[in-house]
Amino acid sequence: MSKGFASNARMTLLAVGVLTCFLSIGVRLVFLQVVDRDNLLHYVEKARRQIMVDHARRGAILDAKGNLLATSRTFVVVGADPEMLQPDDARRWPELAQLLNLPETQVDNLLRRGMASAKLAQSAPAASGENERRVRWVKLADEVDERVYDRVAQLAIRGVYGQRGYKRVYPDGELAAHILGFVNHEGAAVTGAERHLDLYLRGQDGWIESEKDGARRELAQFRSREVPVLNGDDVVLTIDSVVQHMIEEELRTIAAKFDPHFATIIVSDPQTGRILGMANYPTFNPNDFSKVSVDSLRNYAVTDIIEPGSTFKIVAAGAALDQGLVTPATMFDCGNPLITYKGRQLRLPKEDEPFGELSVADIVAHSSNRGAAQLAMLLGEQRFYDYARRYGFGASTDFELGGEVRGILEPPEKWDSLTITRMPMGHSVAATPLQIHMAMSAVANGGALLRPQIIKEIRDPEGNVLRTFVPEKRAQVLRPSTAALLAQLLTRVVTEGTAKGYEIPGFELAGKTGTTEKLINGHYVTNRHVSSFVGFFPASKPQVVVSVIVDDAKMPGGVTAYGSKVAAPSFKHLAEQLIQYLDIAPVQAPDRGLLALGGAR
Amino acid sequence: MKPPPANAIVNQLVAHTLGLLVFGGSLGLGAVWMRQEIFSAANRNRTLEVKIADAERRLDEIDAEVATAMNPDSLLTRNSGLRLALGAPREPQVIRVNESPELRLAAKLNREIFTIGRPDAGSETVSFQVVPAAYH
Repeated sequence: MSKGFASNARMTLLAVGVLTCFLSIGVRLVFLQVVDRDNLLHYVEKARRQIMVDHARRGAILDAKGNLLATSRTFVVVGADPEMLQPDDARRWPELAQLLNLPETQVDNLLRRGMASAKLAQSAPAASGENERRVRWVKLADEVDERVYDRVAQLAIRGVYGQRGYKRVYPDGELAAHILGFVNHEGAAVTGAERHLDLYLRGQDGWIESEKDGARRELAQFRSREVPVLNGDDVVLTIDSVVQHMIEEELRTIAAKFDPHFATIIVSDPQTGRILGMANYPTFNPNDFSKVSVDSLRNYAVTDIIEPGSTFKIVAAGAALDQGLVTPATMFDCGNPLITYKGRQLRLPKEDEPFGELSVADIVAHSSNRGAAQLAMLLGEQRFYDYARRYGFGASTDFELGGEVRGILEPPEKWDSLTITRMPMGHSVAATPLQIHMAMSAVANGGALLRPQIIKEIRDPEGNVLRTFVPEKRAQVLRPSTAALLAQLLTRVVTEGTAKGYEIPGFELAGKTGTTEKLINGHYVTNRHVSSFVGFFPASKPQVVVSVIVDDAKMPGGVTAYGSKVAAPSFKHLAEQLIQYLDIAPVQAPDRGLLALGGAR
Repeated sequence: MKPPPANAIVNQLVAHTLGLLVFGGSLGLGAVWMRQEIFSAANRNRTLEVKIADAERRLDEIDAEVATAMNPDSLLTRNSGLRLALGAPREPQVIRVNESPELRLAAKLNREIFTIGRPDAGSETVSFQVVPAAYH
């Protein structure tokens, strides 16, 4: 048998060499893995491990037609790592400054100073102090547009890079500002839908635990844990941008003409309670929320109370008709200022114009204070109070965006002897514009008090509907027949009553004017009023309810700011626009239409 | 039978050791190659993720820009800027049609044709009956 190529000595030497190599490797491994394990692990963890947070994109807010009302846009904060900057790239700094819209000298100074301090820290770490943190980020510009950042990236300046973030934007500016609310600079939702629907909108940040290389690039193969980001859901509101724009335009007109303290307009669908538009004056631009006064941020439609005035007469009239105590033809003496009630003689409130005998229909049409008081007396305190409660006064409407007050409606035990004569005309009671609006809505829809609905549905980021909000009935205020009868009586307000002249032929406008003296320091003042017109149309088939409420309108020549002068014109103007936009057909076709359809010339 | 000489055993041992080293080396290279493939795949995935996120971000940007351009105030400004004089219809301009629009348009067209041809057009009332083509 062959002896092979190796002698015993060679083989022994080779074996010893191989074994020594293995042994030294083993020893080194023991040192690395056991003896110095903790130190090395700490160093590696610090140098290579990174946790990257993936910020969730906040959901959008859309109107009922799918138009974007609020969305999140990315922006880039551009800065530089001074330790990575190269002197050779300095020739491209002027171009960088131009793109970032900054003075060249500013960019030059920032970057050179950063480079100098980085160089100093690298060359003499002890001189700069061991505990001093090295500057690895010099901010150059905030909120840089994506397109601009693309061009910055194309410059390929080593060490200049951006950090992305989200910024909340409201593409329509002031449109529906009080409904939307806003998100502040810290990313906290402050008011409106942003705040109350934050749970749906905000989403959930994701994060990735991974490692990075020397150039701080992620080593994707070393991802150890990954929690995917969950973007926020989209919220679809019931409002319609076009309707909202109409009412905001109308508010601008009111503000220009009357310079009020505040004004509110609400438009809704009486059959579902869905709010189609809700706006206030003064308003604000949520993109610039920090530049406005706190008063402008208030959604007066729900946060402030007013005495409803004559619009409250629907309570007494509706209740008396509903109880069968009167018919529209029942007559009352509205000329006599005194009346005996429960054995006591009471003074009835003043009228704006002298009346004599008036029917219930005329009391509603001409807004007789004494007539309304007598209707309430027929009912008695408790029944009148019960009906007022059923109309929703003195209780929250459960408005989905919160922030609302309950209003004031004291129980009969707390009334004085005159309250039964004053409350039916809308004094001694306070309500939010939304409460008044929903009360009128109950008359329009057959007597049902609905919850005002502002959220239509919630959709996930892929557009799938997660939750749909349906109309909610809160109470049956009147029998449907009574509501229909009262609706017809309210049409006479426009055709021959306090808002005469504001009818639109064929469309059966129905409503109630309101003019309330303001209560200041416990006294009613005669030169400051809350003017309102709350109504709906067409009366026999109501499709839309509109409330126009103007607080403290300044009339030229100090004239009283009657609801018929301040609010009714806006109601009519809005009605004309809504008829076209919502394609509301006339109940009775006007004559010109019939001629045209007949083809006669 | 004679036992094999010691050198032969050592030779075999060396040969096996070398074989083992080659085998181990192959395994090691295989592992490195696999790691490299994992690295490449992970990087490709990450690049794709970044691209998808970028595309989504740009879509959102475009949505926001479209919404800004389409807001009612912007449209009104463009309407006046371009002197288009567009506006919502007013009620007197609207005639609601309850019959078939095709028949109505046909009747209107016929009426216009006959009126143009007549010298005394407009002096007397003309009425028309529209007969659908299917009856012929």
